[in-house]
Amino acid sequence: MNGVHDMGGQQGMGPVQYAKNEPVFHARWEGRIYAMTRSMRAWRKWSLDTDRYALEILPPVDYLRMSYYERWVIRLEAQVVKYGLVTQEEMESGKAAPGSSKATPVLTLKTSSRWLNRGIASSQDPGVPPLFEVGERVRARNINPIGHTRLPRYARGKTGIVARDHGVYIFPDTNAHFQGEKRQHVYSVQFSARELWGEGVSPRDSVHIDMWDGYLERV
Amino acid sequence: LLREFGTHLAEDVEVRVWDSTAELRYFVLPERPAGTEEMTEEQLTALITRDAMVGVLKVTLPPSGGNA
Repeated sequence: MNGVHDMGGQQGMGPVQYAKNEPVFHARWEGRIYAMTRSMRAWRKWSLDTDRYALEILPPVDYLRMSYYERWVIRLEAQVVKYGLVTQEEMESGKAAPGSSKATPVLTLKTSSRWLNRGIASSQDPGVPPLFEVGERVRARNINPIGHTRLPRYARGKTGIVARDHGVYIFPDTNAHFQGEKRQHVYSVQFSARELWGEGVSPRDSVHIDMWDGYLERV
Repeated sequence: LLREFGTHLAEDVEVRVWDSTAELRYFVLPERPAGTEEMTEEQLTALITRDAMVGVLKVTLPPSGGNA
């Protein structure tokens, strides 16, 4: 989706708010929300990609006003209700309804690593052939999907060179919406700064962007 | 962006930005500053900052000079 989250190349957002010795979490609740978000995903009711899309569809004014973990709170509340882990009534009362299903086995600190680090499929899969080769000139498709995509707006329609084949990964554009993993090759594609930003930049500089097969077309 | 962090690169430096858009994350290996050749691992570790590890500042020697 061409949402407010896709900020690459945007200007006028003010200087970087730069904090020296910034802590990982600014308050205890931020760490709790991080842990709860990861824990809920262990139920496999939705994926990381689904979670990312849930942030993208926040109202733009709210998105810009909220801090990073404020967005995570709002998202977590929405996801657990949307995918049936908690009912709206339970959310409002703060108590589990009688007879509501319980997590078994209970997720504890001791067992959490077994739950959370079940691993992802190998990126090495000879059964999925690459559509492009290292060194090949490619163009980022000019797509404007209303769903999740990881093709930055600033790169669409631009031409670059495949610098490296990263192997095979789940396609977020479909996986976010329960339309299948569609595993395919991901490449690091090098775009010159001039191709992306025009004549006013150094001819030497470039941006490497990770691109799935589905984002690319032959030049 | 780098200037906002206080990093000024010479005009002849080639800048390659890695936009981490997939599940891959990149590890920043800071450039070793001149004058650290004789330093121990411990002394080198003390020079590393968060900003160096996220690639917005170079590793520098303390103003007093940390040469062995």
